[in-house]
Amino acid sequence: MTDLAFETPWALMGLLLIFLPLLRSPMQATTYPWLDIIPVDPLSQLINVLIRVLAMAAFAALFLGLSGLHRKAQHVERIGHGAHIVMLLDRSNSMDHSFAGKAPSGNDDGRDAGGRATQGAVAEQSKADAARHLLTQFVDHRPHDLIGIAEYSTSPLFVMSLTENKQAIHAAIDATTTPALAYTNISKGLSMALSFFDHQPVNGSRILLLVSDGAAVIDPDSEAALRVLFKQQQVRLYWLFLRTDNSPGILVQPDDPRDDNAQAMPELYLHRFFSSLNIPYHAYEAENPDAMQKAINDINQLEQMPLHYLQAIPKQDLSGLCYRWLTGLIACLLGLKFCEVRRI
Amino acid sequence: MKPLLKDYRAWCLALALMLLLLMALFPTRMETQSVYNLMAVVDITRSMNAEDYQRDGKPISRLEFVKRSLRELAASLPCQSKLGIGVFTERRSSILFEPIEVCAGYSELDKAIAALDWRMAWAADSRIASGLLNTLQLLSAKDTNVLFMTDGQEAPPLNSRYKTDFSGLKGKVKGLIVGAGDLQAVAIPKFDQKGQRIGVYGPDDVPHRSSFGESDLNPEKIEGYDARNAPFGKQAAIGNEHQSALQENYLQQLAAESGLAYHRLQGSDLLYEAVKSAEIGSVSRVASDIRAYFIVMVLVLIVVIFI
Repeated sequence: MTDLAFETPWALMGLLLIFLPLLRSPMQATTYPWLDIIPVDPLSQLINVLIRVLAMAAFAALFLGLSGLHRKAQHVERIGHGAHIVMLLDRSNSMDHSFAGKAPSGNDDGRDAGGRATQGAVAEQSKADAARHLLTQFVDHRPHDLIGIAEYSTSPLFVMSLTENKQAIHAAIDATTTPALAYTNISKGLSMALSFFDHQPVNGSRILLLVSDGAAVIDPDSEAALRVLFKQQQVRLYWLFLRTDNSPGILVQPDDPRDDNAQAMPELYLHRFFSSLNIPYHAYEAENPDAMQKAINDINQLEQMPLHYLQAIPKQDLSGLCYRWLTGLIACLLGLKFCEVRRI
Repeated sequence: MKPLLKDYRAWCLALALMLLLLMALFPTRMETQSVYNLMAVVDITRSMNAEDYQRDGKPISRLEFVKRSLRELAASLPCQSKLGIGVFTERRSSILFEPIEVCAGYSELDKAIAALDWRMAWAADSRIASGLLNTLQLLSAKDTNVLFMTDGQEAPPLNSRYKTDFSGLKGKVKGLIVGAGDLQAVAIPKFDQKGQRIGVYGPDDVPHRSSFGESDLNPEKIEGYDARNAPFGKQAAIGNEHQSALQENYLQQLAAESGLAYHRLQGSDLLYEAVKSAEIGSVSRVASDIRAYFIVMVLVLIVVIFI
């Protein structure tokens, strides 16, 4: 019963009228010379009581309906497959370039300069575009997930808290069509993304999906702080690294030992840092949209752990039910009206 | 049957029943309602940390006040309206998310607005005019109206020789420039690298005039002018740029140039009023519940029976 509520509770004051049928009779008064002469009629007495009860019920139904009786929105716990996912998207300038490291040529309508269909081979897509398409699909394939979005450039941007509202997630992913911002400051981005899991129950798997096309040096202070955070939040980390042509990538060991430092090879060093965290971690290196698609499918398959999730049941309006009762009660009263004895 | 027809109570009951049946058939009426599709672009530059608003007797920053007003705006916009959030700093804005429906997405909007922070700024300049131009460019392709919320403080100061040209975009995007702040200049809080507040900006912390490009003054009038070495003169500029006030005239001028309306932010209810009066809504047809009218009539009829 606690989940019932009223839209306009003040209308409940009208319930006082419930007592009206007890005080007044709904029957036409008929003058009669001597009441004692009327025989006792149990049926009439019964009907008299019935009429009053029906009328009281009608008043109750009317005012309950008028005050907007409804069952509150509820969450029902169900078990499905899914995860809590925070996507951390790179908004640095280079994301607006293609996988070949150039500004994307022309518009991506799937046709080349001569108007022939390219089947995606020639038309260049910026990395941000490719990421957007795939992430949109990914979100659509994950019905029960809670998804949050953070972005980072020189500073971290809080975009969308963990939510099941898919429209909102799409709105946030779509907004990455606007030009990217400045530099890559990954450590702040990571700590913001991890903060999304604060005050969230640990339930099913927690995933941090980092989508970036480069890395940056993490200073020792942030590194220590991040280590603690990663441990605390118990996340699984996926790094979707969009490799640009001629960039070293995350798995390449340097030929020259002089290059073996974080400034020269930030990607490799970030990869080493992630690997040293002792958390489930997987890096995907994608040089083109197809490789990205594969990585995304992979994550989609891997992350199907059982998840307790709350299914929202929207609030149920019960005033319609009240009015149907009211209609029925009025119909009964009208029927009883025909049984009334009349003397003119 | 004859006597029954003379009984007004029977008539009342019959009429009530008819009304209820009618109500079951036509429970709603189509009504037109203004709905809005808004993109709120919030200035998150440092001057927005200046505290010249009051809430519950405590000073709160312009940014904090803007956030509160936006949350209350999100709550008061009619359903089917959409609200998106973007942030402005440097000379451009970044859209965090496209407009989402305010009723279904209220909690998401609420959290996203609460998370707006000056620390999101990716660069430190505050070029209001360029930022506004950039915002209008971003939005000109969409049917979104803009709420550009700023205090109008250009930092570093503008060189009036290089003005932003809005003529190409004038009138393409409708919306409001919302001025935040007080006309009285106040100090701007200063923060260290860790985000701790360390006093306020002093006169030595900020440039007080533009030293970019050519001077906008007549060289003969500049003291110590030297075309190559001191195009802006030899005197150190003194000014009041370390303090910040709402640059209302400047924002009104920008509004006129870009074809937007101007509103000064004072209370949040007024923001919704300003949005309403700016006539930027689109008309949408919504079904409104009219059952209450039927029910009140039915109520009168049943009460009459007992009198």
